[in-house]
Amino acid sequence: MLQKSTLTLRDGTSIDDLIDVDMHEVSLRTMSDPELYHHEMERIFAKTWLLLGHETEIPKSGDFIVRDMGEDQVIVARDREGAIHVSLNVCPHRGMKVCTGEAGNTQVHRCIYHGWAFRPNGDFIGAPIEREQMHGAMRPKEELGLKKARVQLYGGMIFATWNIEGPSFDEFLGDFKFYLDQLFCRTDGGLELLGPPQRYTIPANWKTASEQSACDGFHTLTLHRSLMEGGIMGATADTIYDMAPGMYGVDVSCHEGHSLRCIPAATTFKMFSDISFDGKTTEERLRLLPPPGITQDLIPQLMKNLSPEQVEMLATTPPQVGGLFPNSSIIFIFAPRMDGGASGALALHTYNPKGPDAFEFVNYIFAERDAPEDVKRDMLQNAIQQTGTSGVIEQDDADTWPAISRNAHGAVGKTITLKYQALTGDRKPEGWAGGGFVYDGFTKDDTQWNWWLNYRRLMASGL
Amino acid sequence: MQQPVKTLERATAAPDKSGVMRGLSSKIRVPVGSEVYNRVVETLYDEAASLDERRFDDWVAMLSQDLVYTAPLRLTRTGPNRDRDVVRTTSHFDDTYASILQRTGRLTKSAWAEDPPSRTRRFVTNIRVGEREAAGEYEVVSYLLVKRSRGENPHTEEVSAERRDVWREVQGEYKLARREIIVDQSTILMSNFAIFF
Repeated sequence: MLQKSTLTLRDGTSIDDLIDVDMHEVSLRTMSDPELYHHEMERIFAKTWLLLGHETEIPKSGDFIVRDMGEDQVIVARDREGAIHVSLNVCPHRGMKVCTGEAGNTQVHRCIYHGWAFRPNGDFIGAPIEREQMHGAMRPKEELGLKKARVQLYGGMIFATWNIEGPSFDEFLGDFKFYLDQLFCRTDGGLELLGPPQRYTIPANWKTASEQSACDGFHTLTLHRSLMEGGIMGATADTIYDMAPGMYGVDVSCHEGHSLRCIPAATTFKMFSDISFDGKTTEERLRLLPPPGITQDLIPQLMKNLSPEQVEMLATTPPQVGGLFPNSSIIFIFAPRMDGGASGALALHTYNPKGPDAFEFVNYIFAERDAPEDVKRDMLQNAIQQTGTSGVIEQDDADTWPAISRNAHGAVGKTITLKYQALTGDRKPEGWAGGGFVYDGFTKDDTQWNWWLNYRRLMASGL
Repeated sequence: MQQPVKTLERATAAPDKSGVMRGLSSKIRVPVGSEVYNRVVETLYDEAASLDERRFDDWVAMLSQDLVYTAPLRLTRTGPNRDRDVVRTTSHFDDTYASILQRTGRLTKSAWAEDPPSRTRRFVTNIRVGEREAAGEYEVVSYLLVKRSRGENPHTEEVSAERRDVWREVQGEYKLARREIIVDQSTILMSNFAIFF
């Protein structure tokens, strides 16, 4: 059998024409091309690990939610033993949706078309009129279940992939577990999702948001200018580019395309600028300024669940924003309020493709399960006001992405290239304990370029 | 009136089993055509005009300082819970008077989501008014259709919703004290909520 080793579109354009590795340029055509989009669904969304939700959404036996893996809808369900399964929401009989709702509880998922029934784990129970054997005699029941994906839980988050024999979840995380543990696996109780996710549709290609989430720090100064004008950042409207608040830190990424910005709080926000860490122990630093979402009471749990090196990073340069390849975004930010409160906002987004020119923005909002209820309430409200549908930060992103996709329709516009040529270079600060590629200094294009390199690798390999 | 108070016990992602809480709950109707009804309708029309015309100071002047302004999620459900589709744990808006002031303040500066501004048209219909226990407070339920045109984009975005309000008479004027915007879409077909409803 012929192994596909590269990708060439019908007009002869190859992936190497679209992504110029030497020049660090990507054709704008990638941000809308329908043919490329179909390849992405097969080579990326049907192959890599995807974030589908959080286990606190389905706490009880029989609970289920319906989510998307690319344009394939899946049922994420908990069985009687407590295990979580992900099955294609397509009846193997005649292709109808088995679950017509978005969430619920049942031990029997019965298709409304002809009544074929399935367990939460996807196994086929049977078709009505058992004596007539309405599933026929040609296939045993074992072959008539829902198509099952491979599932992995990490920090309560539910990931799945159709690539049954492909890379393990640990391989998918690459060098990033060290960093991600600091956000998702740091307390005894773990994170709790504070309600079902917000969902809304953006008329833009999924990659406009996804490549930005691979640590485009630079856009914050201009697109999110209103944050500076609001008076919480370490700059005023007149000094945004001189002060460049939040731009200096350590960006990290890896071969697998994930990335995070580890940013010292003091240089970002006005209200933290007087805090001095000089001569302070790690614990003293944590007490002075706990990382987003962590209360004073939870600090001892950090020491218990994380290594000293991980705690040290959380105390000085906590990972705050970033992305998980291919389509997830991490927002674990201090998000101080105008009134001085700073309990933080913890959110994850997924950008689910809905055709070459649309994606669904899914916004998950979290708090630590063991945080006090008033802190959870404050964090929920804070996250809703800053991120997602009405979030004052992400409103402006939502208006930018569609314009990029529309520009990619022009016969000339699509030949323009996106530039990733401002480079910091792999440079680890002294004593940096984390792995991967480490970019110390001003946030530049390195991490986003790594995102594109992994995109190119998956698209070209066809594996 | 049964207010959509967020109880912390329900601060979980599992869908709640509470009553659906929609429509008018007051048993004391303010009849269509009565003086109070007419003044409430006039207030809603004036409010819609102030937002369509982007006179945000005029709109804020209609808000009470104890305002609670929310927009629950809708979640498609089936079977016995099929009508319990209003989710009040997470929401699309979760605002107070102070946070609304921050939003309107932002709109006067570099809020690219509304610069250039949307052209909007708010259609307010099916207005039902009931008395609340507190004197001078009215429960007002209305249907809202918002059409929103952005730039030269030929596609007009649209949101339809039910609004459950509390309006309070203060010195001869009505002030908005509660608003719950129950949008009809579970996946919102609008790229942001940078406008008010």
